[in-house]
Amino acid sequence: MRILCARYAHLGLITALRRYPELRGEAVIVGGAPELRLPVIAASAAARAAGVQPGQPLRQAQQLCPRAAFVPLDSGAMAQQRDSLCASLHQLSPAVEVGEEESLCDLSGSHVAYADEAGWASAAARRLCASLDAEPPAVGVAGSRFVARMAARASQPGRIRRVQRGSEAAFLAPLPLDVLPIEASIAARLAAFGLDCIGAVAALSPADLQRQFGAGGIDLHRLARGEDAGGIHPDPGLRVWSERLVFDGSIGDLETLLRAAQQCVEALGGRLLAAGLAAGEVGVALELEEGRAITEAVVPAAPLGNGAEAWTAMFGLLGGMQLPGPVAAVRVLVTRLAPVGGRQADLLRPGDGARETILVAAQRLRLRFGDAVVRRPVLAVDPGDLPERRFTWESPAVAASR
Amino acid sequence: MSDSLSAALATLRRRYGPQALHRGDLAGVAGGWATGVPVIDSQLTPGGLPRGRVTVLAAARVGPSGRLTLLQSLTAVASRSRYVGYIDLAGSVDPGFLADLGADLDACLVVTPGRDRWERGLVMARALVVAGISWVGIALGPDRPAPKLWEHALAALAEALGKRRTVCVIAGPAPLATPLAHVSSLTLACAPAGWQRAHEDVSGLRVRLTAVKSRIGAPGAEATVLLRYPRPYAVAEVVGLPTVITPRLQPAAGERSSLRPAPAPAAAAAAARR
Repeated sequence: MRILCARYAHLGLITALRRYPELRGEAVIVGGAPELRLPVIAASAAARAAGVQPGQPLRQAQQLCPRAAFVPLDSGAMAQQRDSLCASLHQLSPAVEVGEEESLCDLSGSHVAYADEAGWASAAARRLCASLDAEPPAVGVAGSRFVARMAARASQPGRIRRVQRGSEAAFLAPLPLDVLPIEASIAARLAAFGLDCIGAVAALSPADLQRQFGAGGIDLHRLARGEDAGGIHPDPGLRVWSERLVFDGSIGDLETLLRAAQQCVEALGGRLLAAGLAAGEVGVALELEEGRAITEAVVPAAPLGNGAEAWTAMFGLLGGMQLPGPVAAVRVLVTRLAPVGGRQADLLRPGDGARETILVAAQRLRLRFGDAVVRRPVLAVDPGDLPERRFTWESPAVAASR
Repeated sequence: MSDSLSAALATLRRRYGPQALHRGDLAGVAGGWATGVPVIDSQLTPGGLPRGRVTVLAAARVGPSGRLTLLQSLTAVASRSRYVGYIDLAGSVDPGFLADLGADLDACLVVTPGRDRWERGLVMARALVVAGISWVGIALGPDRPAPKLWEHALAALAEALGKRRTVCVIAGPAPLATPLAHVSSLTLACAPAGWQRAHEDVSGLRVRLTAVKSRIGAPGAEATVLLRYPRPYAVAEVVGLPTVITPRLQPAAGERSSLRPAPAPAAAAAAARR
């Protein structure tokens, strides 16, 4: 497996600088007003140079950098930016994971448009750079998640650091132990043994590490040798599945089109059933003979978990479309995929079994009428004296996932 | 029951289903949601607010009436045991106040369709009801759009409520809109009855409730509740005040009244002994 990891400035900082372009180059601290007892979410390079670090209290950050501009975190813009990054990377890679400060995508195999891995990685980096509209990301490519992250950390902005297959352990060997994602107690015990770099840990036998740390010792050994199994964890909600059918000749009658769309929907329904997923949105793209494509999508009343349900939504969608000309191909897409797995209901709360359905309905209302329409109040941790600061609003889905 | 009537009922049930016929005296009692306030659950309605029906808290006259405070109090009570939706068309919801009332905010979905956008609010309430929410409170603002804009949405909501047996409480301004009065199964008129004072400070509001319409029991019952305002580190509550239940209309001597006042305790005990 080959994984690309790109590190960039915090998305909160990028969206803040996009909103206030006059602050570019200045000391900017994202997190809110300094009188709030909240932590620093992100800081610009100038603020970092003054000693500001993410996680510090905002008051302390103000003392360290009094001239800094404090801006609130724009969660909506950040989510939009994340979706944009995800969409642009999905055009180059089948599996994408986008975080607040780094993105990972799968570069296993080959891409028809690029001769080798370097060209493919360069294209992904350029896409990221164009989407971020900020300092170019530092990119690393390696055979595992941890090594790719370390390679990106060792790289420079606008550069790609590739770790060749088989040389992961040698790349990791000189790095200090504090970069390992392990518990502090294990790190302290390793330091007490006199081990000061990852190479020293990799040189130990797995049996010795297992005797010291149990099953975690084996994982530690694999991590130190760059053989960790942590791949990419794509957000299922951002995955898009599609089925495309190309006609022998262009067609103009609706009946043939319906039959073709039904074939695509049945194939997608089978995949949804096999994966235990349900689609929150279904769409169709009609590729016309002239090359243009007409795309329509619909958010159904309930997530679609099989072909029959998806066909009902697709039938309604196609029924409302007008064919402007002969159609050369049809493509059916299902998006917003989410697991359909159950959970243990709260037996003391009547109606708790419908919680997911209610949240889905709330999300659909947000999609239809706007994000500020359906919200859930959450009491603020440090409300202060002002009544309007006693609570904050959250998306129902975010609140439910806590 | 005569044999012919029994046979007719059996035929109707066989032809139209077992739910086609109900006994009138069991319809409301079986589907009540107990608010936990005895005067509401026993004196104003039999067994609590009806499920699958619309309950309206109507202002008795133009101006403040305590209906929105009562609605938020009921929302807080409901949120402790189930998921609730609060459709705020009056622009008056304060989650801090809800929290002071003891609401479980994790179980509250606050919907703000926009001030006085009744149709959109009712459509959104219906979407939540269809999804399975079991309690919905709707706060209507004082500026009322034309009924033709929202009466069909109200009818659709009422239909969905009946299918899902959801409790729905709507706080409406005075004068009560005709479609709302028509769809309501229980209309409680709210009138302020004075401030509750303690230590030379206002500690609550007394609200006089009158069941002006009831399809689940006899209308005309009255009661007074005290809406205690929350204090810091204390949970507010609705308290029923001891009042004598009186019918709204006194029948003349020798005339039968459709109003059936609740029996006094002594009379009830005597009736039970008989």
